[in-house]
Amino acid sequence: MSNEKTTKDIIREKLAKRERTPLYNQEALGKLRESFSAWKNTVVGEKDRKKWEITPHTILGSETPRELLYTPLNTPDLDGQEDLGFSGGEPYTRGIHPNMYRGRTFTMRQLFGAGSPEQCNKRMKTLLEHGATGTNWTLDLATIQMFDSDEPEAKGQVATVGVPIDCVEDMAVICKDIPIDQVSASIVTHYPRNTAIIFPMYLVMAERRGIPWDSLAGSCQNDFVMESLVRSGLEYIPPADDFRIQCDNTEFIRKNVPRWNHVTLNGYNLREWGTSGITEMAVALANAIEMLNEMSRRGHNTDWVAERIAFFWSIANDFFEEVARLRAVRRLWYKIMKYRFDAREPRAMWMRCHVQTSGVSLTREEPMNNVIRAAYQALAGVLGGVQSVHVDSYDEAYSIPSEEASILSLRTQQIIEAETQITQVVDPLGGSFYVEALTNDIESRILDEVDEIERMGGIIEVVNSGWLRNKVARTIDREQKMITDGEIRIVGRNYYRVPDLKMPEIMVHEYDENVARQMRDKLAHLRQKRDNEKASNCLNALKEACKQGDNVMQYTVECARADVTEGEMRQAFVEAFGAWKPPTL
Amino acid sequence: MINNRRKIRVLLAQFPLENHSKGIITVAGMLRDAGMEVVLIGNELPERIIDTAIQEDVDVIGISTYCGGELALSIDLMEAAEEKEIKEHTVFLLGGIFPPKNAEKLEEIGFSGLFPPSATQEEIVSCIEEAVAEIRQKALLVIR
Repeated sequence: MSNEKTTKDIIREKLAKRERTPLYNQEALGKLRESFSAWKNTVVGEKDRKKWEITPHTILGSETPRELLYTPLNTPDLDGQEDLGFSGGEPYTRGIHPNMYRGRTFTMRQLFGAGSPEQCNKRMKTLLEHGATGTNWTLDLATIQMFDSDEPEAKGQVATVGVPIDCVEDMAVICKDIPIDQVSASIVTHYPRNTAIIFPMYLVMAERRGIPWDSLAGSCQNDFVMESLVRSGLEYIPPADDFRIQCDNTEFIRKNVPRWNHVTLNGYNLREWGTSGITEMAVALANAIEMLNEMSRRGHNTDWVAERIAFFWSIANDFFEEVARLRAVRRLWYKIMKYRFDAREPRAMWMRCHVQTSGVSLTREEPMNNVIRAAYQALAGVLGGVQSVHVDSYDEAYSIPSEEASILSLRTQQIIEAETQITQVVDPLGGSFYVEALTNDIESRILDEVDEIERMGGIIEVVNSGWLRNKVARTIDREQKMITDGEIRIVGRNYYRVPDLKMPEIMVHEYDENVARQMRDKLAHLRQKRDNEKASNCLNALKEACKQGDNVMQYTVECARADVTEGEMRQAFVEAFGAWKPPTL
Repeated sequence: MINNRRKIRVLLAQFPLENHSKGIITVAGMLRDAGMEVVLIGNELPERIIDTAIQEDVDVIGISTYCGGELALSIDLMEAAEEKEIKEHTVFLLGGIFPPKNAEKLEEIGFSGLFPPSATQEEIVSCIEEAVAEIRQKALLVIR
């Protein structure tokens, strides 16, 4: 690594060659500097002058210092074209589409799942009837961790926080009567292994319904950082092998399902687990860079790959920071694609993202306060120019959302869209002295962290060595102390807390053993009626492909066609790659 | 004096498929801070949690759960503890997200402390210290 140029080096070098045309003339700035200094020393009180810069402490915040007042002096060389440009044009700071929400509003993609595949299908239809414009399904714990509903480890966890999927048949029930060639689906598969297992079930379901793969639109997550680092689980495969599966999935999906986002780099779960909004983005970008390098080694055009990369961010409480982060990462992604990968296709330079309001910043105390928090967070996301939003529900600290709570979240989005009028003007905060300074600051901090990761050997290495895990653990510890000390203020919890707090009546999702029994019966029946020899041949072929380096997804598609179950495929991966133990804390 | 006989040892674990670990890492930090020895094992089957608790000779077993099913799995945990004869002299705690109406039942099967999100270090630490002191007191009386 030592002799190779990092992404930051390359961007710096190429940017240095570009001519800049600052908006402000030096003479005017000089005058302003003088009057600013006079004002600060005479008009501003001494106390404020001494505490001119304040570092905000918030849950998941970046602790970027803030000045009392921002002026053009904070961005003296701001270039109208190089730094800002226009929406739909380079450097995309102001948005990826010229007309942004006037053209198409943000997708209101409320996460749902829980209960049986039948119940999930029903809930999906309810949300679509209420105006949801995409679906976003969570998988239950057993499915997420790639266990079949009838494995001993799945006890008590079937259909708890999402919908169980063991085989193609379950997929067919979930999507029954849903026009999957018209409604885009976000399938929250999280991990590469899980994507390699579950997404083929979706493809085979479409195949059985006679719907061609090239008409399917949507996304899956497919992020090895989620599987090897963020996830807590019983078993792991080595991060390098998991990264290879991520790339195999990308390769297969890109070729065969062209409208599908083959990877959604998930900053959200990493940040919510315990890291700042800067690290969240740096890690996702480092993963994207590593992935594009690998795709290039495999002989693919990186534009073709990047056109379908999506990102998933968390939106927390520090309002302007959140807006600035989205603008910053949009510009940085453009620079990475343009200068590091010589992109030509605009689409490859678009940082397209889904955001979710922050779950960990919601409280169990006085849960209705969460409605307000989530609304501000969603507002920041929309002002930041995102493509798709999920608003967390107020009952987050009790349960997965009740139907009433999830409709309220959808209504929150609709009120932003239809009533606040903020969607009429593109990038309405662009040009604010404050927001532009913060955007610059955050962009360079994200790039610094990408650089740090690259200098340590890259994203796979920092996951493998435990460096990133330790960084998260330190952040969690530190944040907890600041909450205990009251340095981070949380209304209703440690700030303005009422003495005898009463817990409200909240409807919680109950564990239903009947669904688990149904799923077990279904599996028993499936294993009886399917061609078991064919199933076992497909599994052997998958193991062989893992060892030989063939693209695994073409083999998992064959497995899905033969009604192989999720747990069976998981085991095949573990047998082929061996188990990995994450470094302990 | 009884409290100081040895440092309090705590095993922290999650049921097999739980994929959230922010809570357990937070609590591990709080307890270490309070001078306790923490063995953080991550995900395990209920029986294996009990086996590890015996090997590690801990005073306390803490379970972190977020995704439901905690009652069914806790019943298995308590049965295993009873079978291996550690239930009487071990303190059981559970934290995370669980339906409030399950609280009574969870206490009934053997948990001395239940900690929803926002539980403070003080609350958790004092619950452990009191429960461990009580058990050690009892053990002392038996020996005498």
